[in-house]
Amino acid sequence: MYSKWTTRLIIGLTLTFLIGPFFIIILAGLSDGEFMTFPPDGISLRWYAKVFTVESFRDSFKLSMFLAIFGTIAALILGVPAAYAISRYKIPYGETIKTIVAAPIIVPGIIVGLALLRYLVVPLNFTVTLALFMAHTALILPYAVRVVSSSMNNLRSDMEEAAVLLGCSRLGAFTRVVLPNIQSGVLAAFILGFVTSFNQVPVSLFLSGPGVRTLPIDMLSYMEITYDPSVAALSALLALLSVVIVFMAEKFLGFSRYV
Amino acid sequence: MFQNNREGLALALPAAIFTALFFLLPVGFLLSEAFKVDGMWSMQGYFDFAIKPLNQTVFLRTLKLGFLVALTSAIIGYACAFSIVNLEGKSRGRVFGLVVLPLMISPVARTYAWIVILGRTGIVNDAILGLGLSDTPIRILFTETAVFLGLLQLFLPLMIISLVSAMENLPKDVIPAARVLGANWLQVFTKVILPLTKDGLVMGGTLVFTGSLTAYITPAILGGSKVLMLETLLYQRVNVANDFVSAGIIATILIIMSFSANLLLKRIAKARS
Repeated sequence: MYSKWTTRLIIGLTLTFLIGPFFIIILAGLSDGEFMTFPPDGISLRWYAKVFTVESFRDSFKLSMFLAIFGTIAALILGVPAAYAISRYKIPYGETIKTIVAAPIIVPGIIVGLALLRYLVVPLNFTVTLALFMAHTALILPYAVRVVSSSMNNLRSDMEEAAVLLGCSRLGAFTRVVLPNIQSGVLAAFILGFVTSFNQVPVSLFLSGPGVRTLPIDMLSYMEITYDPSVAALSALLALLSVVIVFMAEKFLGFSRYV
Repeated sequence: MFQNNREGLALALPAAIFTALFFLLPVGFLLSEAFKVDGMWSMQGYFDFAIKPLNQTVFLRTLKLGFLVALTSAIIGYACAFSIVNLEGKSRGRVFGLVVLPLMISPVARTYAWIVILGRTGIVNDAILGLGLSDTPIRILFTETAVFLGLLQLFLPLMIISLVSAMENLPKDVIPAARVLGANWLQVFTKVILPLTKDGLVMGGTLVFTGSLTAYITPAILGGSKVLMLETLLYQRVNVANDFVSAGIIATILIIMSFSANLLLKRIAKARS
């Protein structure tokens, strides 16, 4: 085998390339100067503090949170029964249904945003927020179905059959036997859906209007106008938020099994 | 397995109907616009699109960058995956976790860092000026190099993950066996490792390639209007010119490419199981 040092060198270089940039934005956000520079111009927390005072960031953060939370919940409401049906029933046209539900994965987000703007928002008077909500739900749905299906497949179906034989209703068997057993899968699906939705950019490129902007889009337009370190500070905060979420999920759920 | 199929259908249909109505139908309408020129059905839009030099450049550039990113990530990916597989249990899990982690972080944050690194007053230019390699800052941002680096950083983890899982299935003693029998490292790679991990390579390659083709943020932030790729071109055509024919055509190209990649992946997954 090749030597320990070569191994370390290769891994070290790759991780520097993959993770190094995050340390740079964390530090760049700490700058005391008016413009983005690295190494930073003195050290201060002013740009980190400023992030919280920019009103458009606060509004777009709220919208992104709303979409990520409720889009994922809606996807789970649609997706959990679908995953249950796919793994427990022989549904007619099962393959077609699976293909339809999985389709959003292969459609690039920018196209989705444009299509929904042109055919739902303009002619049918959907609000932009509602269209965004629809798009996020449809995009998260395939992940929700996949993750929940895989934890459903690990659960033996004779347990709920036994519950039904012992007099439990079908719904009762689902809520009392199946749901408690797949709850960590559902939680993993929620986290994956939340992160996917929160980080999603292209869908919202066309689906934005006055006062309705998701956080990443707001950051993109902010950095076109100004070159101060607040976007770096905000990026660093978002990266840390993801790290915390993933770390907790891994610790309590063994998240990587589901992804 | 329950036999009441109607019940199963009732549980699965809402999800399918939702996606079909609010997702697939609008996207289908958008794709059909490419065949409508002045209200008439025709292929004229496709011909007009194909002969424009800008469209050709952007199309070829997108393919070229996708290919280069996939190739480079395969080279780095093999070295890195091989090293990761050679690590002991605990540090192996940790390193793998660090490789996967960037995938969960906002791509805007991930791409923004490159502005700090590659910009006029960025780290690279500081180093170049400091070492006296050039008198003026060189332009790296808004070039293909910048887009290439951004895409590579964004998608390399996908290649490493695919290759690590392929190499974990490699029998432990095939490499020492090949060495003992007199193969040099190049032969070990081309005759033993490559054939046994080619599924992982194809899987990682397709993920990286399609990821790069359909990336928006990286070319938008690091390439700008100087280095357009298909997605940024689509955005520009709609925003600047209200040109929905071109938008429909680019959308069709992108969907066909990611659909074929997806088919390929499914076939590999099937062959494996």
